[in-house]
Amino acid sequence: MINYLKSELYRLLHKKNLHLTSIICFLLILAAGLVLSYLPKVDPSFPYATSPFFYSNVISSGVLILIVGLLFNIALTGKDITVIKQSVAFGISRKVIFWSKLILTLGYFIIVCLIGIGLMVVLGENLFTSDTQVVISFLLACLNMIPIILSGFLIIHTLKMIKVGEAYIVITLFFIYTFSGDILRPLFRSVSGLNNLYQYAPSTLLTENLLNFMNESVKFEFSYWLIGVVISLITLLIGSQKFAKISID
Amino acid sequence: MEKVIQTYQLTKSFKEEEVIKPTDFSLRKGEICALIGKNGAGKSTFFKLLAGQTTPTKGDILLFGQSGKKIDQARKRIGFMIETPQFFPDFTAIQNLEYFRIQRGVVEKKRISEVLEIVGLNNEKKKQFSDYSLGMKQRLGIALGLLSNPDCLVLDEPTNGLDAEGIMEIRKLLLKLNQEKQITIFISSHILTELQLLAQRFVFIKNGAIVEDLSKDALDKKSQKQIYLKVDQQAKTAQLLELTYPDIQYKVLPNQTITIQNHIDKSGEINRLLNKNDVLVNEFHLESLRLEEYFLDFVEGNKND
Repeated sequence: MINYLKSELYRLLHKKNLHLTSIICFLLILAAGLVLSYLPKVDPSFPYATSPFFYSNVISSGVLILIVGLLFNIALTGKDITVIKQSVAFGISRKVIFWSKLILTLGYFIIVCLIGIGLMVVLGENLFTSDTQVVISFLLACLNMIPIILSGFLIIHTLKMIKVGEAYIVITLFFIYTFSGDILRPLFRSVSGLNNLYQYAPSTLLTENLLNFMNESVKFEFSYWLIGVVISLITLLIGSQKFAKISID
Repeated sequence: MEKVIQTYQLTKSFKEEEVIKPTDFSLRKGEICALIGKNGAGKSTFFKLLAGQTTPTKGDILLFGQSGKKIDQARKRIGFMIETPQFFPDFTAIQNLEYFRIQRGVVEKKRISEVLEIVGLNNEKKKQFSDYSLGMKQRLGIALGLLSNPDCLVLDEPTNGLDAEGIMEIRKLLLKLNQEKQITIFISSHILTELQLLAQRFVFIKNGAIVEDLSKDALDKKSQKQIYLKVDQQAKTAQLLELTYPDIQYKVLPNQTITIQNHIDKSGEINRLLNKNDVLVNEFHLESLRLEEYFLDFVEGNKND
């Protein structure tokens, strides 16, 4: 596994597009901060030049973050996946391939996310009125988002590894992370015991997290981690089983 | 002699269709074996099963006597090249081989230059893979197969896209590897004359089943010889042959020519028969069937149906 990880790292480090995507993401964050801080100079009544609003753009962009995650994942599981037939033929187990690619893409994604959060805080504290409590709320909201976003990333990885097209992956992400609550609510309204299931849907949790942040009532929620871990485990279990059986052409 | 590849009742089905019928096969160390069959006969699927790219529906595969979980270790001793080799399009030959060198735990970096030299890509090593011609891609695929000093090469259409000179070079290379390093070779190609110049054993596959397995000598004997006749009275010759040998197999060709596929051992008698019946024989000789013609007999369904 170590040799396979090393070779994938070699590939990852030589992927110019991937690094370019990361830089573009950071530049977009920087541009958003600069534009928000500049607008009051043009329009003194502009109400959104605040750090809570700046941070809320991240808290409300769960699916967008996952789309960026999809771009990172494609780096090692996109067209490159065709190369794995040579790795399989050399006796590298599919288990090693599945987990190694996951570890590397996830690791890269987490590093980019951490740098992004760091950049947000630096910009938020320097471009807008500094408020430690807002930063703490932002970090707590991010902490709640992490398991949900990571579960989405694992869904992306699994679907990519079993050769599901990108369009279907995006639809799946929107379904789970934007509409799942709205669908589960009417669906199980009349079913006793399941009528509150929608409250645990990823889309409901992400919306609730944003509202709590805006209301300054955000706190660490264990249920977010529980839901995230359950989705992740189910995804990885099904994904690794399916990947072990697919034909690699 | 040690068996490099063995299969027992190896079967692969896709939905209802059995694309590889229960197959028993073995390849001994040092052999050069050709797998011959038309498109869709099951050659690539058979290779993919050996490479682990697809899983068998039933049956067993043993590589170097290893099966089950140990088979992955045995696969490291085989260089596979199945269908068009795939590499990273934005990487050069060196970068692509470096990726696989790291992955395969090949310690010496200079091995990359060595294999590129062997396949004649040393001057193209800095070009991106996406700019490679099909022939160059094939050569890089062979280079990858050789990277970890394998004991066996399994090559599916390795000369695809190569020009005549390239095909000859690869044939020489494979013969050299077999003779000097005792590398076992299992190969398929649609250029059957090349296989005839290379292989010592010929396995014919049709509709997912091995229908014939011949040594070079046996193939020479079987495919060899048909009687070639050029006569002045074609119809009379055919009539005489049918009357004398009721089971005779012959073909009537243009230019007063007839070829006879059986009773080869009675060539003298046939000659005498024609002379005795006033048929003027302008040309009479024995000729060999080429591998293509032998193969086409299978494809057309004249044999083993």
